Amino acid sequence: MTRLELYQRGLLDLVKRRGAAPADPYLRCVAGSRELAVLQEIAVWWREFQIQAQCHFTSLLLMRLGCFHEIVTSYFNSNRTSPFIEELSLHFLKSLQRHDILLISTVAGLDLAFLEVRAGCTQCFEIVWDRHPDLLLHALDTGRDLPGAEHGFVYRMTIAGDIPGTVSCTREEDFGTARL
Amino acid sequence: MASADANAVSGSRLALAATYEGDDIALLERLVPLIDVIEISPDAIARSDAKRASLRREILDEYAAVAGNVNFIAHGVGLSIGSFDRWEESYLQLLDELFERFDLQWHSEHLACTVVAGENVGTMFPLPRTEEALDLVCERVTLLQERYRVPFLLEHVIHLLPDAPAEFTPAGFLNAITSRTGCGLVLDAYNLECDVFNQGLNVMAFLDELDLRPVRELHLAGGVEHNGFYLDIHSNRTRSDTLALGREIIRRAPGLQVVTFEFLKEAVSLLGHDNICAELKHLRQAIQ
Repeated sequence: MTRLELYQRGLLDLVKRRGAAPADPYLRCVAGSRELAVLQEIAVWWREFQIQAQCHFTSLLLMRLGCFHEIVTSYFNSNRTSPFIEELSLHFLKSLQRHDILLISTVAGLDLAFLEVRAGCTQCFEIVWDRHPDLLLHALDTGRDLPGAEHGFVYRMTIAGDIPGTVSCTREEDFGTARL
Repeated sequence: MASADANAVSGSRLALAATYEGDDIALLERLVPLIDVIEISPDAIARSDAKRASLRREILDEYAAVAGNVNFIAHGVGLSIGSFDRWEESYLQLLDELFERFDLQWHSEHLACTVVAGENVGTMFPLPRTEEALDLVCERVTLLQERYRVPFLLEHVIHLLPDAPAEFTPAGFLNAITSRTGCGLVLDAYNLECDVFNQGLNVMAFLDELDLRPVRELHLAGGVEHNGFYLDIHSNRTRSDTLALGREIIRRAPGLQVVTFEFLKEAVSLLGHDNICAELKHLRQAIQ
């Protein structure tokens, strides 16, 4: 490995907070520097900025839950993030669809569906909500209290480019519908 | 192809440029009467659909609509000319698209690494000032000069992290690149201020040592201070200290042709159109 490769791979690992402590003296010096912390902060700040611009409701929800910075930081550190905002946003939202908190994965699914449809995707997206989606989205936008889950009912939302208004939604009794 | 009078850039008076990254026709209409050149960042006007990145046609149309009034230069972010393994071919495809559509007076890129082993680093790493890095950069500069028959310029980036062990001084490294390849330079007065503030760069010694003949473009911008560091987040008007340094560079650089006020698209709502226009009017007076 050349010195250039050693430095660049080492700096990448440091910025992404991964790998063992470096053996190289220069990289050890960087690892212990105040400047590295600032650089890490800036790198995540840019991703936060991009994600807020593209993933509107997901960002609002994560901020409301107090975990936006933590989740974006974790995402940045453990993924090969795209420099293109469209790819970054889609990949970020897909990563949240496996999130343990149902509300986060549902709202991420909503933002993802809208981004895909706006980009020309012809797929039909179905999102099942455990609470009234309009009330939830309005609460996120206005800072009001989030509505609670409605036991015994679900809201089945369909998002597709060929639906008038792009979205349709029905309230149904919940007979143990699996999460989609 | 479309372009304004080419003499606006090559003439004797300094041309004034501004960044414009699209989606704000009202701003563009106010910028055009105040500037001679628009600096286009291909990365910033690109869209990726997972298969390939391409320039957004609607923004290219915005540029085309004002091509009779201004010239264009390109300033990239994502080429990663200093990556140990390879540069970003996708950036060159964007640049190809831009060259197909417009006459560019020149194109420039940061002397940095933004991708390591195919992974985007989320920031810019300056290059270690070594013979190894010099050889790599010079080889790639030569390839760029063969590919695009207009001048290519390199811009120094801020050094936030401690410097790697070096075989050249900061100015000596730039001198070695320009003398070996004949490429030009973009000097960024705000980046230099960041290095003064963050790393203790002796900027006058830097300018004394630097061969300023290849400098064609000067960047002016205002940034932010965060946790005791100056950061190159271009989101403010130019501070008086930065402008004073810029004027010193203007005084010393005989081949300087364009002074560019850089601001991020994301900062437009913070700065406001009025402030941006007032800044351009102020800079126009200050640089002549």
